Amino acid sequence: MSKDVFEEDRFYDVIIVGAGIAGGIVAKELAAAGQTVLILEAGADHGETWQTYRSYLDQYYLSMAKTPNSPYPNLPTLPSPSVLDITAVRSTQPDTNGYFVQKGPLPFSSNYLRAYGGTMLHWLGTSLRMMPADFEMQTRFGKGVDWPISYQDLRPYYERAEWEIGVSADVKEQTPEALGIHLTQPEDHKAYFADGYDYPMHPIPSSYVDGFFAKADDMPINIGNDDGPVHLKVSNTPQGRNSTPRRPKEKGGTFPVGDEVRDPFVPRGATGAFAFMGQRCEGNSSCIPICPIQAKYNAMKTLGDAIYLGQDRLRKVTQAVASRVEVGEDGKITGIVYKKYPFPGVAQFDLRRVRARQYVLAGGAVENVTLALASNLCRSSGELGRNLMDHPYMMCWGAAPEPVGPFRGPGSTSSYANFRDGDFRGRKGAFRLEIGNWGWNFAAGSPNSDVARLVEQDNLYGTALRDKLHHDVQRQVRLGVLVEQLPRASNRVTIDPAYRTPMGDFRPVIAYDLDDYSRAGLATARDVCKQIFQRLGVKDHTAYDPNSAGYFTYNGKGYTFWGAGHLVGTHRMGTSRDTSVTNSVSQTWDHENLWMVGCGSMPTIATSNPTLTLAALAFRAADAIKLALKEEAVA
Amino acid sequence: MTQHDPDFEAFLTISAVLTGYSVAELQGTGCAPEYWTQFQQVLSEEVCVGFLSGAAQLTCQDRDEVVRDFFLSDPCHGPVARALIQLWYLGQWSPLPQDWTDMYGASRFDTARILSSRAYKEGLVWDAIGAHPMGAKQQGFGAWALEPPAGRAGT
Repeated sequence: MSKDVFEEDRFYDVIIVGAGIAGGIVAKELAAAGQTVLILEAGADHGETWQTYRSYLDQYYLSMAKTPNSPYPNLPTLPSPSVLDITAVRSTQPDTNGYFVQKGPLPFSSNYLRAYGGTMLHWLGTSLRMMPADFEMQTRFGKGVDWPISYQDLRPYYERAEWEIGVSADVKEQTPEALGIHLTQPEDHKAYFADGYDYPMHPIPSSYVDGFFAKADDMPINIGNDDGPVHLKVSNTPQGRNSTPRRPKEKGGTFPVGDEVRDPFVPRGATGAFAFMGQRCEGNSSCIPICPIQAKYNAMKTLGDAIYLGQDRLRKVTQAVASRVEVGEDGKITGIVYKKYPFPGVAQFDLRRVRARQYVLAGGAVENVTLALASNLCRSSGELGRNLMDHPYMMCWGAAPEPVGPFRGPGSTSSYANFRDGDFRGRKGAFRLEIGNWGWNFAAGSPNSDVARLVEQDNLYGTALRDKLHHDVQRQVRLGVLVEQLPRASNRVTIDPAYRTPMGDFRPVIAYDLDDYSRAGLATARDVCKQIFQRLGVKDHTAYDPNSAGYFTYNGKGYTFWGAGHLVGTHRMGTSRDTSVTNSVSQTWDHENLWMVGCGSMPTIATSNPTLTLAALAFRAADAIKLALKEEAVA
Repeated sequence: MTQHDPDFEAFLTISAVLTGYSVAELQGTGCAPEYWTQFQQVLSEEVCVGFLSGAAQLTCQDRDEVVRDFFLSDPCHGPVARALIQLWYLGQWSPLPQDWTDMYGASRFDTARILSSRAYKEGLVWDAIGAHPMGAKQQGFGAWALEPPAGRAGT
């Protein structure tokens, strides 16, 4: 296809590819510093106004399968991966059902959203910091790799990330001791939080379901730690959704955040004209896939700040698919060619070239890689696209002996964090047990499936049907297991000229498997769930169908896993250009003015949902980009 | 106009018995006219008339006997009754089985779909389980921490 490339006149300080949380944070930081910024977003700009956000909500109501991407447009020309496309990969031929080309042996079941605001539109909001040991997996356990930075290096950036997202939690409830975690080194307990620091908002109240599970608190569980059993504890989860802002102790007081002091946090409600809405969570019980009032953080809030701060120094172009990054002879990036399409869904576009001093790829762990591979970038380590990780997600569900009030409130407000660290990690993966607030919704399609069962099989009708529905659904409990996965060279995103989108861009080709480390962690977690159910008198209804796409076995027993939507590790940071794609501030080793920002930079995934760490890394990268621009200006 | 339409009234009478909600509660959803339209679009006139004729029998002593005999176990009325219950509970039409359409006629409206965003939000299931429709009719900050409501009065 020979097409003329239109040269855009304007030269920017920074071009950012991807309008999600990573791109949003970098854009906001640079805009605040007075730099000129261009944001290129492949998706359409349909979420920014209230009317279109409402249309997303209607799409959610009308979707038969209320999957994470169901409210949002899925353009045939710009596909997003969908959980409905996941099937078992059964032969040597890859599975090409969906956007991903799946080579197996297991399907990679996670998704993301290609739209303005990114996958933050449908995230749950869980905002966990990593544990100190997570940064030293190789040194402490001989597993995976170490990070080029420590927990303490990242700590001030975690604070900025928590205040950017607006995380609701209480520091004294979130220390490793308070969570009941057996840390592998005693000094890890020191200074997990900085003196005087606290989250911007008070905790989101724990659910009634959480209270039911808390009845098992203090139960000893042996998971193979040398220092004895852990004692179960239900702990409130830090969440990126609005609650009550924290007030300073005295009038006019401030809060230390990062290396500065801040005024009290002001919750940001919905973007656009209805900013008073969503300043506090109202319990819509639909965080995944859509918060109707935007009380849950989404990246449109940070992007809105960036646009406000940047004024005419910031330009955002949506429906702009970055297609090729161009490299000069000295290895520096010279420009980006993007496809500007006027009509969503129609594969008709103009090619445009834009230029800047610094270039940032912030399209997520998979899209960053396909673009970089298509542009023949970052080849020296051979690690680009490798080490793809996720939290293999397994569910255990059952019927409680009493009503627990499910289907109310955020999807999860608490978890068992006890298993997030411990010396058992030398042998099997650590994990977190998330307590679900929506009954068997994720596990079995409740309550629709209950209605169908009681009407079609149990032949109930009338008041007996009402009463049985109340009885059964009120007792539904569900635990979700998020286990850590180690970096593996063979878990990998590649491209293949045989597989392209209708716009001519490369589709991600993915090879994926679970190693025994993760399988052993999942098997242990299953046993822990059984023990908790036994202790609480929960009738176990967990069933793993051998025909399900994510079915696997370990030690002769079968389990089913799903994706957690936590796509991590494909352009990892490190200390050497031979073993990593970027340095510790997300700058690529091979191209000094190219930065790859996002979850792809994480060398290991550990047990925390990665968004908060991603955000912290984005702040760290933004600081480094500012410095690079300053140094360039001086030179 | 539906107010004095005896067929529509019969539709509501039968719906009330099958769902366990009163006619007033069903009318209160605002979905009755929409569901009535769907019902008529899916069923042939003959089947529709036959089904609605059961309404007159529901005033008798042993109503359960009538429901099981005339509606639930009847080859023609059974699948229709089960689809109707699910329509009220979920706001969603559940297509009739192929055996049934072979015998009593197919309709292009007999497809699985949520009828409208209102139908989704007014699904009786949310009230029945003591919750609220996911994504609508939110209960307020922290309501999820409170003891759930007991079931139907008297249970």
